[in-house]
Amino acid sequence: MIGKLAWKNIWFKPLNTILSILLLTASVAIITVLILVEKQFEEKYQSNLDGVDLVLGAQGSPLQLVLSSVYQVDDPTGNISYDSVKVWMQHPYVKKAIPLAYGDNYVGFKIVGTTPDYIEKYQAKIAEGKVFEHNFEVVVGADVAEKLNLKLGDTFKGTHGSAAEGEVHEHGEYSIVGIASKTGKVIDNLILSNIPTVWQMHHEEGHEEVAENPAHGEPGHMHDEEEHVHSAECDHNAHETDMTIDEPNMEITSVLIEFKNKMGVFMWPNIIAQNTKMQAALPTYQMNRLFDMFGVGLNALKYLAFGIMLISGISIFIALFNTLKERKAEFALLRVNGAKKHQLLLVVLLESILLCIVGYFFGTVLGRVGIVLLSKASESDFKLGFNPMEIIWEKEGLLFGLTLLVGLIAALIPAIKAYTINISKTLANA
Amino acid sequence: MISTKNITFSYNKDQNFIMPDLFCQAGSTILVTGNSGKGKTTYLHILAGMLQPNSGEILIDNTNFTNLKGSKADKFRGKNIGVVFQKSHFIASLSVIENLEMASWLATGKKHTKRAKELLNKLDILEQAHKQPSQLSVGQQQRVSIARALMNEPKVLLADEPTSSLDDKNADNVIELLESLSKEYKAALIIVTHDSRIKAKFTNQITMV
Repeated sequence: MIGKLAWKNIWFKPLNTILSILLLTASVAIITVLILVEKQFEEKYQSNLDGVDLVLGAQGSPLQLVLSSVYQVDDPTGNISYDSVKVWMQHPYVKKAIPLAYGDNYVGFKIVGTTPDYIEKYQAKIAEGKVFEHNFEVVVGADVAEKLNLKLGDTFKGTHGSAAEGEVHEHGEYSIVGIASKTGKVIDNLILSNIPTVWQMHHEEGHEEVAENPAHGEPGHMHDEEEHVHSAECDHNAHETDMTIDEPNMEITSVLIEFKNKMGVFMWPNIIAQNTKMQAALPTYQMNRLFDMFGVGLNALKYLAFGIMLISGISIFIALFNTLKERKAEFALLRVNGAKKHQLLLVVLLESILLCIVGYFFGTVLGRVGIVLLSKASESDFKLGFNPMEIIWEKEGLLFGLTLLVGLIAALIPAIKAYTINISKTLANA
Repeated sequence: MISTKNITFSYNKDQNFIMPDLFCQAGSTILVTGNSGKGKTTYLHILAGMLQPNSGEILIDNTNFTNLKGSKADKFRGKNIGVVFQKSHFIASLSVIENLEMASWLATGKKHTKRAKELLNKLDILEQAHKQPSQLSVGQQQRVSIARALMNEPKVLLADEPTSSLDDKNADNVIELLESLSKEYKAALIIVTHDSRIKAKFTNQITMV
């Protein structure tokens, strides 16, 4: 009955109530979005970083190199000579070195030349089929397979560059030999082949008739897009057979390095910069830098949300305080009818807390709707989806606690006033 | 049955009320009259346990009400004393019937919806049961107050100027209802009033001077 009374009282002044709930909903929604996005963002970025201590690539922005090589979001900085980077890949400090070569895409999904180590690094399993062995065999990521409805044995032609609208390679079809399991990491959105596939695809670019007339040779075809990988000098004799990883004078895009000896993390950036035309970027450092830049914005949003929550607390306080004046006689009457002092205290506190619970409920729902929308946008731009259904008990519980606390504090003074009401005086003067 | 003995009360040092003793059987009525400022309403508040007297005792069916403190007094009041005020107060957010149920629930923990409907029927306002109290006329509101005061079948029914804001017809009506219902529910009825329309109707009167 006390709960029912509190509930009815809330809705007796619907405008006050709706204002308070709206403010609470807004602040809870913003904070929920921030909590979920921050956590899932960092988690995704962190999980992709596992096993990558350093990225070797062409000179340019180190952040761009990390974003393109580890997260597949930005364009690559350029190409590096595979012959010269091979020396570093075999360095005794190195535990694992995964080369990456970019060139094509298939309806917007990047086709990346690499080694099977890449699949292993992301802890992806081959869900169906096998790992790529020969040229033009590809393993597709789980999301790619799902979204494009690809099956084992399917073949497709690549499009040059990273945009789906690019020029289609008419020769050379990729054939799917494997589908990777879902990992929630960038690999889900990639199509993987071996490195010679990328070389051969672009090497043959200039030799359209190769398939029919392999002996016929033409000068290497030049591309203006810098992420394009191909040899400066084509080895025309290789046309008869598939290219191999030992092809001389070829280029790749970057190398992901995991060190055996972590000293490399400190030493390599300088050594590489001084001795080669490449750069060595530290992904952890670059990402922290990025988060720091983000952080200012996120913190500003957070303060805004807490500010709105404070205002909603004040709004509840004012609403309760004002109606208390009108309801003094009601409270006195309840006492005459046998209500105990603490029951009046409870009514007022409950009113505020019910408001907060309703506001919190709408806030978490609205926040998740926001995440669905946000996720749609970021999915198409960055291939980075957010899961609106995830519940982060610890932080969201804390937020719930905070919301209740705001309600409790807002109601405290009105509740004490109700508790200490002078029945006789109130009813005699009323 | 209610009786009082040697009750005194003061709001401050200068003003000391000495309340006349009274005794009222179940089912009978006593009128407490007197001019304004003589402490009529104060006396009623003391009888209802809303004010603590300086001395004296109030016996309600052999329980010394003045000895009860805090939530025990609240509970006893809710169960045994019904009060009808000069101006009707209601919980504005609850409907008429919910107001009655609330009175019952606070005192006994049960809603007694059936009894609430019976009372409203007896007072001829059953059709208004699901309206907000503010939608009712003053006379109807006063009848709802009476119904609420009787919800817990109290031993004592206190009425503070129950007719002062009513016209002659409604005043007659209310007094008649109070008297007949207190007889029916075997409650001692104490009416505090300066309304001369009522004074003529009752012989059992105490005048405060």
